Amino acid sequence: MYYIVLGYNMENKITQLRKGILELAILGCLNRGRHYGYSLVKTISGEKNIDLTEGTIYPILSRLAKEGLIQSEWMESSQGPPRKYYTLTLKGEEAYRLLEEEFQKLASIIANVQKAPKPDTQGIGLNVLSIKKEMNHD
Amino acid sequence: MTNGLSGPVAQIVDNYLARLRKGLKGFPTQDQEELVKEIHSHIYESFQNDPTTNEVERILNVLDKLGEPGVVISTRMPSAMVKLGKKKKLPFYILAGFLITIFGLPLGLGGLSLALGIIITVLALILTFYVGAFSLILGGWLSALVMAVRIFSPGFLHPWVNSYAIVSNPTLNSLIYILGSLLVAAMGLGFLWLGTRMMRGVRFVFRFLFEKIKNSRKRVRESA
Repeated sequence: MYYIVLGYNMENKITQLRKGILELAILGCLNRGRHYGYSLVKTISGEKNIDLTEGTIYPILSRLAKEGLIQSEWMESSQGPPRKYYTLTLKGEEAYRLLEEEFQKLASIIANVQKAPKPDTQGIGLNVLSIKKEMNHD
Repeated sequence: MTNGLSGPVAQIVDNYLARLRKGLKGFPTQDQEELVKEIHSHIYESFQNDPTTNEVERILNVLDKLGEPGVVISTRMPSAMVKLGKKKKLPFYILAGFLITIFGLPLGLGGLSLALGIIITVLALILTFYVGAFSLILGGWLSALVMAVRIFSPGFLHPWVNSYAIVSNPTLNSLIYILGSLLVAAMGLGFLWLGTRMMRGVRFVFRFLFEKIKNSRKRVRESA
C-alpha cells in the first residue's frame, strides 16, 4: 500500500541517483575534449569495466543536446560508419562547472558521515520510553 | 542497410536496429534516422574493440552491453512515462493526447480552474473507490464471522441479524452465507488490486499535466 501512496521504490531511487551522476560524468568527459558515443562509454566505465548498460547514455545525450549544453556533428571515420561527435557548448561548460562544484560538496558530505565517530551510546542502559516500529511495506 | 558487418553478425545487428526503429515509431523521422545511425556506429565500434574471438558470440556480447532498444529510447519520452514502465505506452499516449487537446491550449484562468476542478474530482473518486473497497473487505469478513458463530450458536445476534433461509438445513445455510461474504471480501481485495493499476494511471496523468504546465510557463517566460 505504501508503495502506491508514496510512489517510489528502491529501483527508482537508484535510477535517479545514477542518472544525475552519469550526466555529470558525461559533461566532465566532454569538458576534456570531444567524444563520440562509444568513446564516451569507454571513458566513463574506465579500466575496471564498471557494469553500465551502454545504451543509457544515448537518452542522456539527447536530453543534454535539447537543453543546449552539448552540440554534435557527424564526422567520417577512417573505418566503418561515420561517428557523431559531441562537444560542450559555452552553456554546457558553465553548467559543468556549477554541477561539479555541487558534486564535490555532496561527496564531502558522504565522506564526513563515514568518518564521523559513532554516536554516543551512554543512553543505552536507560529506560526506553517508546520505540517506533519501523515498517517496511515494500 | 549495409552495416559494415557481414554474415550472421550483420543479420543480428539488422534485427536489433529493426527493433529499435519499431520502438521509435511516432518520433520525427529525422530523429529516428539519426539515433539508428548513431547506435549502428556504436555497435560497429564496440564490435571492433571486443576481444571475443567467435564473431556471433562477440556481437551478442556487444548488444548485451548496449541493452535492449527500450533502454536506448527511454528518456526520449516524457520522463513521467518512463517511470511508469515501458510496456503500457499506448493507452498513455492516447490519454496524453486527449489531455493535451484540453489543456495544451492556452485557457488562462478559466483553464486553471477547470484543471483544478478535474483534479479535485479525480481525488474524490479515488477516495470513494478506496473507501468502497475497504468496506467490502470489512463487511465481507465481518458477516462471514457472524455467520460462522451462528453455526455453533444459532441465536447469536438474533433480532439484528436474520438470514433468509435459502436451504432448510441451518448449518448449510450459514455456510452458503459465509461463502457469499468471503466472495464479497475477495471482491474488495480485487478492487484494491485494481486500484494499484488505477493509481499508476492517475499518477501519470498528474505528472504529465504538471510537466506540461511547467513547460508552457517556461515558454511564456522565454518569449517575454
